Amino acid sequence: MPIFDQGYQHWHGTLTGHTWRWLAIAHQGVRTQWQKKATKRVLVVAMFPALVLALLLAGWGLFEQQSALLEPFLFLIQGLPAELKAGPRSFRVPIWTILFNNFLYIEVIFSMLLVLIVGPDLISQDLRFNALPLYLSRPVRRVDYFLGKLGVIAVYLAAVTIVPIVLAYGAGVCFSLDYHVLEQTIWVLLGSVAYGVILVVSAGTLMLAFSSLSKNTRLVGGLWLGVWFIGNIAAGVLAGMVRADWCPLVSYVENLGRIREVLLDTKSAWEPIARIFPSRRFAENAYSSEFPWQWSAAVLAVLFGISICILSLRIRSLDRLR
Amino acid sequence: MLFQLQGVTKTYGTVTALRDLSVEVPEGAIGLLGPNGAGKTTMIRTLLGLISIDAGAGQVLGMDIRRRRLDIRQAVGFAPEDECLFPAVVGIEFVAFAGELVGMRPKDAMQRAHEVLDYVGLGEARYRKVETYSTGMKQRLKLAAAIVHDPRLLIVDEPTNGMDPAGRDELLELARDLARNKGMSLLFSSHLLPDVEAVCDHVIVLGAGRLLASGRIQELKQLHKRQYEVRVKADRERFALQLSAAGLAAEPRDDVLIVDLPDGRGPSVFWEAALAAGAQIRYMRPRQSTLEEVFLKALSEQR
Repeated sequence: MPIFDQGYQHWHGTLTGHTWRWLAIAHQGVRTQWQKKATKRVLVVAMFPALVLALLLAGWGLFEQQSALLEPFLFLIQGLPAELKAGPRSFRVPIWTILFNNFLYIEVIFSMLLVLIVGPDLISQDLRFNALPLYLSRPVRRVDYFLGKLGVIAVYLAAVTIVPIVLAYGAGVCFSLDYHVLEQTIWVLLGSVAYGVILVVSAGTLMLAFSSLSKNTRLVGGLWLGVWFIGNIAAGVLAGMVRADWCPLVSYVENLGRIREVLLDTKSAWEPIARIFPSRRFAENAYSSEFPWQWSAAVLAVLFGISICILSLRIRSLDRLR
Repeated sequence: MLFQLQGVTKTYGTVTALRDLSVEVPEGAIGLLGPNGAGKTTMIRTLLGLISIDAGAGQVLGMDIRRRRLDIRQAVGFAPEDECLFPAVVGIEFVAFAGELVGMRPKDAMQRAHEVLDYVGLGEARYRKVETYSTGMKQRLKLAAAIVHDPRLLIVDEPTNGMDPAGRDELLELARDLARNKGMSLLFSSHLLPDVEAVCDHVIVLGAGRLLASGRIQELKQLHKRQYEVRVKADRERFALQLSAAGLAAEPRDDVLIVDLPDGRGPSVFWEAALAAGAQIRYMRPRQSTLEEVFLKALSEQR
């Protein structure tokens, strides 16, 4: 008789509740996607704009304090308007807003790239390998599955948007040495984070919908590239031909950009800058007419609705005949 | 009680998959038999709370199948029939992930995954991508994923499909070991009667969504008091001729003769025939129905 049965042993641990089951799916997906070299490379490159944002915010804080640390860079400051040099704190909110806006404008490229790398596999491979019965025969609902997959995209997009925003904001606050900075700029932070959340939800559901349409990952990637590039090209061509307000609506990225501008109120931020910098480009940013942001919101909402419909049709429960 | 269903009806459009199905099953190893389209998979999905039933009620491990679906799926291990895999993972990650999906903490799930992979004989392949596994290995992998959280009830749907004879025997041995030695209740769905007989002590027979038979296999396999299985040493043909001469019909089957004993005659007639034929009786007992006969009889009664 064996002293210790090396066969099956009972397990006496405890199982957690059902609330956070989606987290296991997200965790597994993040681990799997992290193994791709492209994911790591894009994340590393996407850190440079974040670093630049943090440095600029820190530099602005030092500039507000007229810090001696800026002496080596005086040649950069000398050309600034006297009004700005005399009272930089009155330009704090516009400068912060523009910096965050530009950062998010650049990061949307990395976001699109990350979604392209991370997203196509998420559902298409589960369909290819018939993994859905394995998920749904466990205490996992369809909504848990969807949230888990969305969570994978959310983690990577947050890594290039929300996380750098919060860290850079923290750096800016630390270097400003002024307690008023929080009450003045909190809306910049909240607007940027809200934009990050909209980006995650919108791009995430859209990519998941694409991913659920085909077992072929390349085809899914092609669909995403189509939305990204062809939308932009079409918007440019239409703008040249039709010259109508609605032309940018055909571009997914333009619609995201319009929402970003509204959330950060960039138009108001450009006005004082355009006043002290008599540049045509700055004036365009401040005074040119934009199409109504509600149109872009409606486009994104429709895309979201269509994505949810596709997902609910493609990720079906097991309550059906085979 | 392992599970019970009361008057369960399930339809898919115009197809009635389960028709007023009522069954009570005690703990143990239960075989679920039925031809294709009998409703086996629908019954399993009903037990797991994966489908909404049209009528009826039921409990699995004391939990209501309508209200505690997620709790049931947490307490039960299920290895589906289809070939299905979590993609882009190695074997150990597959099983650990299955554990996490039922609520195990990642560290516990990983430790336990190593144990169950050793148990099902995939220890050497644990770091291989699951896409490269053979059919038999995938079946074992699904079994490992189903038992990773040590469920009270394990449901396996056609687990030996596509397996070679050696792999099939090993899988049946694992199922038998879990059910008989490890105290895990088992619902074993298969259309292969020898597989069910090798593992289970109870059986449920379904046909066209109805319950055709249910009970202990030994009790269902009826004893025929007037029909004997007899095996002799020496010339079986001569022995059979002697039995015919004595007015007994003898039918050879495998290495035995199936002999009908007329009313008023006792087993002593076999000794007399053996003496006359110069044969030695090595084996003699009243014949018992096979599971196949039970199954076919249940199906024929349905028709």
